[in-house]
Parts: sequence; structure tokens; C-alpha cells
Amino acid sequence: MKRYLFIISRTPYGSTHALEQLEAAMVAAVFDGRVAILCRDQGVWNLQGNQDGAPQGQKTVSRVLAALPTYDIEELYVCADSLSSQQIQPDASLDIKPLTFVEQQSLIAASDVVITAQP
Amino acid sequence: MNYALAVHGAPYAGTAADHALGFAWALLAEGHRIERVFFFHDGVYQGLAGQVAPQEHFDTDLLKRWQQLARQGIELAICIASGIKRGVINETEQSRYELAHPSLAHGFELVGLGQLIAAINAADRYVEFPA
Repeated sequence: MKRYLFIISRTPYGSTHALEQLEAAMVAAVFDGRVAILCRDQGVWNLQGNQDGAPQGQKTVSRVLAALPTYDIEELYVCADSLSSQQIQPDASLDIKPLTFVEQQSLIAASDVVITAQP
Repeated sequence: MNYALAVHGAPYAGTAADHALGFAWALLAEGHRIERVFFFHDGVYQGLAGQVAPQEHFDTDLLKRWQQLARQGIELAICIASGIKRGVINETEQSRYELAHPSLAHGFELVGLGQLIAAINAADRYVEFPA
């Protein structure tokens, strides 16, 4: 079983980056991978509370994130530095763990595959 | 070693294809294997038929270079979800959605996102080429 890390680094509604990363993460979980997700840089906006994707005709990204445990994706991390610099108030329904830079290094090192889909 | 590659950038918009192609040929030259090249996000435009290389790229026709790679038996797999919403469709999708004509270039195929994960699982290394 491979350990996958998906890094989300862009805002939820400015592009399809976040939703497409999450789709790939769910497929990896279905393939019996152990999947972790790390939001960092502008990607921390995906965790912001009170989101509604409907005006954009999109899924609400924070709700997709909240549904990840049903896909056996239990590890949702956020860069602590990005979280404070962007002043995000995370959605209360999300179980997220802030990580320091050193902890993010360890997470990346411990993963077999890192998928950034960097635009 | 066995490699899975992913291309996320559109042709002539950045270095994704150039770097991926150079890397792929270097892998083959060194005796490595390529499990699959997966085209995701705007990378699906690499498989759009009818591309005309801009003049400043006259000797780097990307589509021809991908097709050369395909002739080595390398699978060029386009994410079907990313592809159909951008109009990169084969004959099956053309008739399913009643569109005028297929647009998928020779040498490429449309596959599900599961094929990306399957390739990564089968490979020793996964390398992404961003937009």
C-alpha cells in the first residue's frame, strides 16, 4: 500500500485545481492507498468556513473536504504558517491538523508519492 | 526502473511537454521503462488533433514528438474527465455527446482517472510536469 500526499496550493474557486486534486485523492483511496492531504499557500482558502460554491455553479469545496473520512481519508493537514498569514477561519466541521515547515518536510519524506498538480 | 509520468501543462504554454518528452526519451535511452504518460488538467490539450506548431517552434512540433514516443509503445493516456470538458474527445465520446467530430490525436487514448493511480501503483517513481 502506497502512501499518497496530495498538496492543494490554490484557492477553491479560482480554478479547478482543488476539486481535481480531491477527485484524484478519492480515486487513490479507492485503490487502497493511504491518502493524506496538505493545504498550503493559497490552498488554505479551501478550509475557510461559510463557503458556497453554488453561485459559481461548483461543488462547495469545504463540504467535499468534510466528506473525505467516508473515503477513508482521515489525514487533512494545513501549513500553520499559511494559515496564520492568510488569516483563515477554518470550517468548524473539518478535522485539520496544522503542521510546521519541519513537520511538512517529514510528511513529504514519509510519503511514497507526492502529487502537487502545480499549475 | 519503471516510471509513471504526468503532464499538466498545455502545448506551447510552458515547459511541461518539452521537459516531459526530454525526460521520457532520456529514460528510454538509459534502459528504464515508462508505465504510462498521463495527461491531466490542461495537459489534455497535448492530445488535441490539428495542432500547428508555431514558427518559432518549427523544429519542436510537440504533437509529432508525442506520436514518436507512442510508436515506441509508450501509452499516452488522457484523463477522460479533463479531456471531454475541454473538447478532447474520441469517436465514442463524440457520438455519446452528439458532437460534430472527434478531436483526439492519433497515438493518444482517453482513460479514467483510475489509470493515473494504477500507473503510480505499478511504477517505482512518479514524476509530474507542471504547467
